[in-house]
Amino acid sequence: MSVEETIKRIQSQKGVQGIIIVNAEVLICNAGIPIKTTLDNSNTVHYAGLIHQLVMKARSTVREIDPQNDLTFLRVRSKKNEIMIAPDKDYFLIVIQNPSE
Amino acid sequence: SVPPVETRAPPSPASRQGQQALPPASGLTTLHWDSDPSALQLHSDSDLGRGLIKLAMAKVTHVDFPPREMVSYSKETQTPVMTEQKEEDEEEEEMAPTEPVPETEKEKPAQKTDEEEEEAPPHELTEEEKLQILHSEEFMNFFDHNSRIIERALSEHVDVFFDYSGRDLEEKEGEIQAGAKLSLNRQFSDERWSKHRVVTCLDWSPQYPELLVASYNNNEDAPHEPDGVALVWNMKYKKSTPEYVFHCQSAVMSVAFAKFHPNMVVGGTYSGQIVLWDNRSNKRTPVQRTPLSAAAHTHPVYCVNVVGTQNAHNLISISTDGKMCSWSLDMLSQPQDSLELTFKQTKAAAVTSMSFPLGDVNNFVVGSEDGSVYTACRHGSKAGITEIFEGHHGPVTGIHCHTAPGPIDFSHLFVTSSFDWTVKLWSNKNNKPLYSFEDNSDYVYDVMWSPIHPALFACVDGVGHLDLWNLNNDTEVPTASITVDGNPALNRVRWAQSGREIAVGDSDGEVLVYEVGEVRLVFPRAVSIYNEWVSANWPAPIRIMEQEPVCQLIVSRHIYWQATVRVI
Repeated sequence: MSVEETIKRIQSQKGVQGIIIVNAEVLICNAGIPIKTTLDNSNTVHYAGLIHQLVMKARSTVREIDPQNDLTFLRVRSKKNEIMIAPDKDYFLIVIQNPSE
Repeated sequence: SVPPVETRAPPSPASRQGQQALPPASGLTTLHWDSDPSALQLHSDSDLGRGLIKLAMAKVTHVDFPPREMVSYSKETQTPVMTEQKEEDEEEEEMAPTEPVPETEKEKPAQKTDEEEEEAPPHELTEEEKLQILHSEEFMNFFDHNSRIIERALSEHVDVFFDYSGRDLEEKEGEIQAGAKLSLNRQFSDERWSKHRVVTCLDWSPQYPELLVASYNNNEDAPHEPDGVALVWNMKYKKSTPEYVFHCQSAVMSVAFAKFHPNMVVGGTYSGQIVLWDNRSNKRTPVQRTPLSAAAHTHPVYCVNVVGTQNAHNLISISTDGKMCSWSLDMLSQPQDSLELTFKQTKAAAVTSMSFPLGDVNNFVVGSEDGSVYTACRHGSKAGITEIFEGHHGPVTGIHCHTAPGPIDFSHLFVTSSFDWTVKLWSNKNNKPLYSFEDNSDYVYDVMWSPIHPALFACVDGVGHLDLWNLNNDTEVPTASITVDGNPALNRVRWAQSGREIAVGDSDGEVLVYEVGEVRLVFPRAVSIYNEWVSANWPAPIRIMEQEPVCQLIVSRHIYWQATVRVI
């Protein structure tokens, strides 16, 4: 199934506010660049950069505690919404959901 | 200021050091200005009193000044890598937006990279590059795998934060009161037909649970409009106009859907006439009327009810002079049967309300204007009033027999409401009230048991309070209470058959339908019986959580133990 269709399907789920796919590579200095997004540009860029740093920190935390371990999923639950991040070696998939909707 | 004069050598900064220029070799006197405008020196070799100037080679020192530093401020801020600075960020945000100069969407936010990589130039991703990435195999792998996980995570809606103490509900808006037990669902009124009228009676349709009929008395501000109005409201649709409009010449004091005739609505009027409307006819006026004669009623009819079964049913009506008539809905020209309700053959009961226990067509209870409650029966040698129950100190406004089904029979219980500010619980085996509920501070206009919950009843009073009493929780105060805006007198209360909604009619012609948020059903211990009953009667989706036997309904000296099931 194409990327577009999947993104549309995710977006149609209850309470989903936005989806961002971000490039994760740190060595190349284009890390944190949004590749695909359903939000507006300024928000995308904002989220992408901030979340990139957060994921890096989370990943390094997990690795430091146990070098054999690695970060697989990150959920940031806040009062107003929930940010779900599925990180990978090269990319992150970020979904922002308001679960009460 | 000194105008610049052409000199032999361009004035260099070095000359400011006080360097003396070489005089011309010709010996001619020349005048030349010192380039420093603050000091004018005329060099002349014919200066009086001066001798020849001795000339020597001057040493040239080369001095290099760096260009003046242009201090400029960029409008971007770098979100710092260090976590300690995160709080400062929020303040800085207002001063400087965090976006780069956004001319194209491909431009990379250079400031966002780690400060250690300052030297590397920001790399922009063009659209083609993005597309390339999107189509690359590794991206597809990543996306396929991770979108699957995200979709699963998205669909889970477990609220791990739920606080059973209700503390977090207190922080929310004030509309959540009493633990969100009663909330206003719909409000029905009609500009022409219900304004300036009082809601005199309410009834839910047995066949279509979304239909509700409300009767209204006369509109004093509009004497040319019909005195009696009955409106059928529909809960299912969002429209705010009545489904059917019926009217008649006399104020309608009681109304009911004819139980076995889904198209008919019966009304009891102030004049004593009983009218029948039919929604199949196009008329808004009644299709049938009872005669205004001594054979029928000559006093206001406050109670109408269809009792019996599909094959054997009657319309029962009682007027305030104590006359009870039973009619066949096909023929309203004369009553099938009539009965005078008099106590001890002398005192006619001024009946204001009546109720039949579940499944009973013969025995019933009535409340009267003088505050007494009577049990009576329709047929038999002792037809008429059987017993008197005294306890109220004011006219009885509402009476209702216990009707919630279940293996335990509570049909001997009934509740009454009265002008004496109380609601009383009675058993027909006892002349004195079993209990008196005294939380109200105004006339209590109506009371009704919940159709599904054996310990729950609702009552309404003259200052806009709708109270839900749960006898398993507390007999001193209502379990849930809500006040209608504007504190109108609430004249009638009627539970819907589902037991989840309550309709209330007020003195301003408004019909309000409240939803009961939380209902704990009470069932005896046999799990199979209530599983069956619940799935047959409860709107899906439900989940039954079994709990230990918890509550007890205390009636007189008997204690009934029952298990509690919470339906969520």
